[in-house]
Amino acid sequence: MAILNNPEPVVQANRIKTIDIIRGAAVLGILLMNIIGFGFNMDNLLGVMQGPRTTRDFYTMTTILSFFDGSMRGIFSMLFGAGMILFTLGKKEQPGGATIVELYYRRLLWLLLFGLFNAFVLLWDGDILYLYALCGMVLFVFRKTRIRWLFVLALACMCVLMVKKQNKWSATKDTRVAYLAALKAEKDSVKLTDEQEMAKAEWPQMEQEGKQPLDPVFASQNRQKMRSGYGSVFTHLQQRIAYLQTVDVYETYFWDALIMMFLGMALLRLGFFSNHLSTSTYLLWLLAGYGIGIPLGYFLLKNGFLLQFTDFVGYVDRYRVIPDLAYDVRRALIAVGHVSLLMLVYRSGIAAWFMQALANVGQMAFTNYLMQSILCTFLFFGYGFGWYDTLKLHQLYYVVGCIWLLQLIYSSIWLKYFRFGPFEWLWRSLTYWKMQPMRK
Amino acid sequence: MPTRYTRLLSVDAIRGIALLGMLLITVWEFGGFTPNQQAALQLEQSGSAYYLYALSSMLFEGKMRGLISLVFGVGIMLYMNRQNESSLAAAQELYIRRQLWLIVFGVVTAMVLLWPGDILFQLGIAGIFIFPFFRMNKTGLLTCAIIATLFYCGKLYWNYADDQRSLASYKAVLKVEEKIKKDSIDGHRKDSLAGLPADTIKIRDSTRKKNDTLTTLQQRDKAAWEGIAKREKYDSSKAAEKMEKQSIRKGYGEVWTYLVERSKRQEARWLYRTGIADLASLMLLGMALFAYGFFSSGYAKNRYLLFGLLGIIAGIAFSWLRLELLHEKVFDYEKYINKYSFPANQFFPLERLSLSFGYISLIAWFVRCNILKRLWPVFGAVGRMAFTNYLLQTIICVFFFYGFGAGYFGRLSIFQLCFFALEVWLIQIVFSILWLRFYDYGPAEWLWRRLTIISQLRQ
Repeated sequence: MAILNNPEPVVQANRIKTIDIIRGAAVLGILLMNIIGFGFNMDNLLGVMQGPRTTRDFYTMTTILSFFDGSMRGIFSMLFGAGMILFTLGKKEQPGGATIVELYYRRLLWLLLFGLFNAFVLLWDGDILYLYALCGMVLFVFRKTRIRWLFVLALACMCVLMVKKQNKWSATKDTRVAYLAALKAEKDSVKLTDEQEMAKAEWPQMEQEGKQPLDPVFASQNRQKMRSGYGSVFTHLQQRIAYLQTVDVYETYFWDALIMMFLGMALLRLGFFSNHLSTSTYLLWLLAGYGIGIPLGYFLLKNGFLLQFTDFVGYVDRYRVIPDLAYDVRRALIAVGHVSLLMLVYRSGIAAWFMQALANVGQMAFTNYLMQSILCTFLFFGYGFGWYDTLKLHQLYYVVGCIWLLQLIYSSIWLKYFRFGPFEWLWRSLTYWKMQPMRK
Repeated sequence: MPTRYTRLLSVDAIRGIALLGMLLITVWEFGGFTPNQQAALQLEQSGSAYYLYALSSMLFEGKMRGLISLVFGVGIMLYMNRQNESSLAAAQELYIRRQLWLIVFGVVTAMVLLWPGDILFQLGIAGIFIFPFFRMNKTGLLTCAIIATLFYCGKLYWNYADDQRSLASYKAVLKVEEKIKKDSIDGHRKDSLAGLPADTIKIRDSTRKKNDTLTTLQQRDKAAWEGIAKREKYDSSKAAEKMEKQSIRKGYGEVWTYLVERSKRQEARWLYRTGIADLASLMLLGMALFAYGFFSSGYAKNRYLLFGLLGIIAGIAFSWLRLELLHEKVFDYEKYINKYSFPANQFFPLERLSLSFGYISLIAWFVRCNILKRLWPVFGAVGRMAFTNYLLQTIICVFFFYGFGAGYFGRLSIFQLCFFALEVWLIQIVFSILWLRFYDYGPAEWLWRRLTIISQLRQ
């Protein structure tokens, strides 16, 4: 509540540091999910899911999907929402210069362009900067909204997604029911109506798509294209990127990000990210977050995701309500758990040097996020080392480890000499349309 | 946004004209004058129906949306420049809230009133993108407007290049197919020359065919181009039209299911692929013209006339070229691609830019010379209530054409549709003038203002 009433007097250095630590952890953590997109052909992931359940790859996948899927992106989104409040409320306006509103929207326009750059030039189709810029344009007017209402807004966005998911699910269920009815009618040698004929034809196709959402021809084409030169990768990916930035953003990711951004704004106001709650509160959140989130995640993975790809018919027949409805609840809980854990470690003073290194990574999170695209596309795509689809799933995480190490080290070194990361500096300079001081 | 004291008459008049003119084009989609029927006219290129179509397309299609964007840009400049230092931040926040409410109204228009062609949503987003530009100087604004226009041309070329690529892979597949056929015939001949019995030849043929078929990817490439060619061609069976007629002449629920996907596509894909460049280029032009003093009688009268004539002549030349190219494209798209390295609508952004600019110059000239003095306040009234009138237009059309209203979708010819639009003009003009006699704002404007102000005060 302290921040709500009075944004200034919170101990500045302290507040920024814990947020930087969380941001650093999130930007590193995001690679845990993204690496699969950078280096792994999606049909292989299906292969791991459908294959034996004792391999290293299977364990890796289970761990990653139940602990980190969505939650790292969630923390990142939360901090984007929190950052919006810090940016807009923490600034003093220069007389005669641009107002905060202008600076904020200019900043977002540049972010949008950085997002397009990340997607269409660096060729990372999983880019989130573009999405964040769009969401940020909506967030601004909610910067002073009361905490209670922020939670309501988050919940409302969550409900939008739930309704969408359930609607789609009900349509699938209806097709299945109509199909079974048509089969039964046929068995009773009743002449089928046109509608029943259609229902009979529709389900098998849906079943095929549900079992094998990735077309094998496309998968093999994808493998070959991703290992070719820059031009081929670009033409191969451009339509997918455009699809992600239009249909997917519009239908899903806009809401997906807004849920977490509103939550993040509310949590910032509560002092959650700024180390303002008592140790027992963080402990409680850690218990609640992990204690509910992880079993829920494991259940969703085992009886939802895995079941879907191994026994699609059984999956459809079993659930009236799609289990995936709990997805956002789960990732919010786990995200809160992750943050609480970080805060507790920070408070205990264990591994203070590591926390400092994380804070450095977080202070240049924008650079580090873009650097991941630069490094990974170069490692995996054909115009670089071309490792795309040559490593096993668990081997990808050795690469992740190396990149983490690299980022922890260069961030610390860079910040010894400079005030901002290079891309932060560029972004700032573009926003204020004036070269910003760089050296310390 | 500007109060009545600072309103420039010609800006309102332009907005009013644009709003009414837009209906001449949107009534096609409302009333079921489908792209396929347009293709039929483009193919024929004669007859009075074609001339009416061509004239509307030349003078109005895209240009009225252009004028609305242009005036929107002028509105941003007027609003931001009117504030003093201390109130600017609050005014800007109010502006952002206005835009967000506009987006909400747009979603309602598209998803509840079921008008997929809605532009409120698009204007809301574009307005947020463009507003930080108001601080730029006039040269910067003009440069940005030109860049946005060129970017738009580039986008159109990009889309065309996809089709070119598709045709190229189609041709490659045809060659493979030919070779497979030839090999099979050659093999057959060889076999029969070798004196094999007919039965054996048959078996050999069948095994050969099994191995020598197109791969899945090749089949897809082939189907992809065939799909494009079919889409661009006039379909004499009119299957799609019949389907559309049936779907839209039904009750609200069925029409909703049919149109909601189209609305989504418009809001997600059109805005991304075309809309943002389409709207932003002319918003920026409007802002640049404002900065150059175009609306504050900075220029001599004759210069407006000159601008007007130049813009209109250039615009008509571009649109005439477009219609000629469209004819060839509908006639045979494959031939078109072989012949031209650019799409039929390549210069559409320039066409809109020149014509929109020509129109406002000419109107400014008229107003300055006191010609048609009585007419401008009439359009001005419509323009002052533009938001109300836009919603009203949509409601009238939806209830006249869709199945849950009078159900005239697909029953009127292009002449009748044009007449219908003129009737709606009349209603809107009379309504606007009467309403403004008693009130300062249109009803929808009032609601919009209230929502914006209340949401800001609630903070």
